[in-house]
Amino acid sequence: MLKVWILRGIRKGVLTTVFPKAPPTIAEIPERSVPPTVAETSDWLTGASICPTKAIRSDSKMVDLERCIYCRCCAEAGFTFDQAAESRTKSLQAKLNVKSQLDEFTKRQGTIRRSLHVLMIDVGSCNACNHEVLNLANPYYDLTRLGIFFTNSPKHADALIVVGALNKAMTDVLKRTYESVPDPKFVISVGACAASGGIFQKTESFVSPIQDVIPVDVVIPGCPPSPIQILEGLLLVNNRMSKEVMTR
Amino acid sequence: MSLLPKYVEQQQVDEVGGSLQLSSIFKASGRTYTLLSDTETNKTILSGVPARLGEEFGLQLKAAEAVAGSPVNLDAGTRVEGYGVFTFPYGPVSFGVPEAGGFKLITYGERIVKVIPCVNFKKRGIERLLVGWRAEDALFVIERSAGNFSASYSTCFATAVENMLQLDVPSQAKWTRAVAIELERIYNHLYAFSRLAEAASQNVATSQVSALKEMVLRLNARYFGHRFLFGLNRIGGVAYSISREQGRELEKSIRTLTREFSEIVDYFLSSRIFLDRLQDTARLVKRDAQKLGAVGPVARGSDVPWDDRLMCPIEPYDDVYVNIETGVGEDTMARTMVRIQEIQSSTVVIRELLDKMPSDGATLSSQSGPKRKRYDSDDFSLCRIESPSGDLIQVVQLDEQSRVSNLHIRPASLVNWLPFAKSLENNVFTDFQFAFESFGLYYADSDR
Repeated sequence: MLKVWILRGIRKGVLTTVFPKAPPTIAEIPERSVPPTVAETSDWLTGASICPTKAIRSDSKMVDLERCIYCRCCAEAGFTFDQAAESRTKSLQAKLNVKSQLDEFTKRQGTIRRSLHVLMIDVGSCNACNHEVLNLANPYYDLTRLGIFFTNSPKHADALIVVGALNKAMTDVLKRTYESVPDPKFVISVGACAASGGIFQKTESFVSPIQDVIPVDVVIPGCPPSPIQILEGLLLVNNRMSKEVMTR
Repeated sequence: MSLLPKYVEQQQVDEVGGSLQLSSIFKASGRTYTLLSDTETNKTILSGVPARLGEEFGLQLKAAEAVAGSPVNLDAGTRVEGYGVFTFPYGPVSFGVPEAGGFKLITYGERIVKVIPCVNFKKRGIERLLVGWRAEDALFVIERSAGNFSASYSTCFATAVENMLQLDVPSQAKWTRAVAIELERIYNHLYAFSRLAEAASQNVATSQVSALKEMVLRLNARYFGHRFLFGLNRIGGVAYSISREQGRELEKSIRTLTREFSEIVDYFLSSRIFLDRLQDTARLVKRDAQKLGAVGPVARGSDVPWDDRLMCPIEPYDDVYVNIETGVGEDTMARTMVRIQEIQSSTVVIRELLDKMPSDGATLSSQSGPKRKRYDSDDFSLCRIESPSGDLIQVVQLDEQSRVSNLHIRPASLVNWLPFAKSLENNVFTDFQFAFESFGLYYADSDR
């Protein structure tokens, strides 16, 4: 029986992505994870009125990626989406939270060297982000080759992955889970819902972005972010991004 | 009531029971209606409120009407107390169930005496939120209410709205939607199967099956732009269309995928260790399945042959051949076999859909806009879609500016909680994961 599985495994070959040693391939980045870019034809006022999550700010002339759900409604207002392979791979934007103190973050990073144990906590998501985080374990992304592991208990975790729009019923649970993670700890917010409430910001159950409840280190935009984007966020915490990818 | 689909019959029903299942109860224009399904004659019946309703339904209503932010215990049946009886709370933070939701497992030694599912940890109140929204905008929320059932949800809503506005949607759009729904069914069933393999510690197999799931997600991204099919449906059409050439490619990829999957299944069905964990686990007898109103693969696994694609067909499904798969044995094995067979039959459906795909355009041309004023504000429109976990019902009412004035969603997971709790009685603790994954329950779906 065992022989059958091994032979099958060999026949399938290597499926795993080359990321982070090289930029990801185009198949790994879905067409709709490209954020809107501003073109000459862009009309900020129309864009702001069309956008269902108020991600387009006409007063400060910016596209707030923490709110963007990549619905492409703003194409009507003249915003463009660059589908070229080059720009698609560069559009990944796991970034350090501006509120987090960079020095302190770097110091904390020094305490974890290679291995990182993460716990996912869902605070009211639509299940798409949960699927994408779980997908990191499949052979295409293979989290464990990078020394990153999922754990079942906050006591074993180094980092929390938070998904979903913070629900009233989950606020205390989130705080208590955060408290039970031993220091030093990291928080990664995955998806537009966790960062800003996304499309659910007007629901009666939405409390606030999770940054207002617990300190967040890395924010990953997307609805849902692709596994490569989440992987990038995890590597950013783990201080294992190759220089080339980091400077993009 | 001219807006109701053809499969609905109007008739006053006094008592629910036997083969007559209560599917949904909803309010429209001050009146309360119930939607019933007769699993013997395969009819959908619209009626007033029957005189007697079971306790189970009261619980479902309680969960449906609860305000956001307050978890609800679906506690049916007698209370269990006594020396040696121990309540084990599970969730809402756990990786065994990768969602926010919990259970109270009441155990006596190794044995589970009773299960109380706790839902509504992430209730967002979508039905109340969307009142007053334009139907086009509401679609963004609808497709994100359960991310992995996005195609089913948005097709159901769009079909109900189009029915209400009496839009003449091109056939190609409807057929493309059906392709998306079948792809969604395939990846959700693959996911359920990979979780079952994981529960049995079959790590190599888990990887192999989850690689297949990733393949389907990439096909979604390639042909519909999004891995979870968000943004595919519009009111009056679809945003992406599949050309003949793309259709042939997609068909080829799906065929490769199914061939690999049937290979893996063959290995599995020759592994005694795996089969032992599934057989006789979490048995749900036919009588209970009918009484508690189980839907989808759960009902079919308990030999209740109901599939919305056949019993309540919307456009492409009355033209293509859909095989109804029922299981033998009423246990986890039966439900798993139903899922395995549905992956195969979905492949056949996709092949036929792509083969016969009409080419009359993906979206409604702007000239033939909505024929307004043909409906009263009292009229309502409903749609039933077979989502991967079962029957999904949505009832929509629109006002004069075609804004949503009333919305009712009855997801599949909500009704399957109690059959799940029932089936686990007298099983041992370690069977929990197998039962849970075979039922295909999602908190995001039931907590909408």
